[in-house]
Amino acid sequence: MSGLVCQENVGFLFSHGCGSPAAMTCMRCAMPLCEQHVTSVGAEMLCATCARQHDDYTGDRNGVDEDHPSYYYDNYGYYGAAASSGSGRAHDANDFTEADGASLRHEDDASFEEDMGGS
Amino acid sequence: MAGRWLVYALGGGMGHLTRASALARAASRRGHAVVLLTNSPFASGLPLEDVLGTGVEVFRLNPALGREAVGEVVEQCLADVRPDLFVVDTFPRGLGGELVPLLPSVRARKVLIHRDVNPTYVKQYGLARAVDAFDLLLVPGEAAPFANHPRAVRTAPWLLLRASELLPRDKARARLGVPAEDTRALVAVMGCGTPEEVGEAGHIAARLDAMLGPEAVVRWLVPPGVAMDVPAPRAKQGRRAGASLEEGLALRMSTWPALAVLPGVDVLVGAGGYNTVQEARVTGTPFVALARPRLYDRQALRLRPEERAGTVEALVTRAAGLARARPARSTRPYVNGTDDAVTLIERTVLSA
Repeated sequence: MSGLVCQENVGFLFSHGCGSPAAMTCMRCAMPLCEQHVTSVGAEMLCATCARQHDDYTGDRNGVDEDHPSYYYDNYGYYGAAASSGSGRAHDANDFTEADGASLRHEDDASFEEDMGGS
Repeated sequence: MAGRWLVYALGGGMGHLTRASALARAASRRGHAVVLLTNSPFASGLPLEDVLGTGVEVFRLNPALGREAVGEVVEQCLADVRPDLFVVDTFPRGLGGELVPLLPSVRARKVLIHRDVNPTYVKQYGLARAVDAFDLLLVPGEAAPFANHPRAVRTAPWLLLRASELLPRDKARARLGVPAEDTRALVAVMGCGTPEEVGEAGHIAARLDAMLGPEAVVRWLVPPGVAMDVPAPRAKQGRRAGASLEEGLALRMSTWPALAVLPGVDVLVGAGGYNTVQEARVTGTPFVALARPRLYDRQALRLRPEERAGTVEALVTRAAGLARARPARSTRPYVNGTDDAVTLIERTVLSA
């Protein structure tokens, strides 16, 4: 897909971008996805996050990606499930979200002074 | 007294190049001869010579060069240019650590452009010692770890263009392909960061265009020289047509520097890099952005809560809301910190 790569987070211990060539985009959030990380929910092809949000509304767990850690661990995520879904009672629109947290995590610290494309 | 400056602007994306170009341009206008060194993957497509003028010579390194090759080029460049002044953007040790053995033998005065960096990097690589090799630390408009260093001086944010150089609103909109009789809100989605993120900006522009319909005009701003292929359609049974890059291509406008056209933009959608954020703020452009992950920069901390969207979904929703509300924007002229920076540097050189 014109050089776009899959943006889905993978890795059980150390989260990182998938990086495989993207085959499509999530039909809700437009995140580029490879075929391995597309979740089919009804007629929609979604990323794991949008699929989970769909389930939060419908209670439907059919079609959820069982390979995703959140399927087995309710508290998986940087700030927990409530923060990532926006459904927590204490949620504030200005809170840092899971996505903001991801932008501050540096699990590839080892590439300091190695990556000549760093910024 | 005019000097010979070497400005080190290595680093991915467009941020290091744009910030350093702003300083180089201001220095050139004061009569200094400037050599600007960049390995940005965007540099080959940008009309840098046109914007920076004849007083700035740009050395474009192949962005594919690895650490050792970059180190050799930088060493050779220092030997060839023999600058009176060596300005380093962001990385006091060099992007690959190559400056550590080089700096002690560099006779030029040394200036560090000091912005926020990952605290893990600061600690693990001893940046407190590295910054001591510099005669002056310039802190352009935002917090930075060594902003209280005895030789650090804060300035206003650095912009590539002065306020008087921005296009008037009607000409800016015309540059973006909006006819004079079309008074709808103009939403610009900034394509920058990495080539992949430029493509994602096209998808976001397409989604906004579909959501807003005739309520607003949407444009996808792409730096010149960035090739975006039309993707081959992938048949997937039961999949309805989503926002595609083809749709984004119809909205695409090749423009740089985008700062020049911001007076014509009613909503700016982008990321939290230094230049986009400062450009939106100084021009008073309503702005919403994603915090993109970076190795050294911390975009989530730069963005204010009202500017930051946690997901693409939130980004699109908030941008559409701003386009419909059309909040009033400030149009007062801004101060460009590059002029003060050049003055501070000249004093440093004179005090040698």
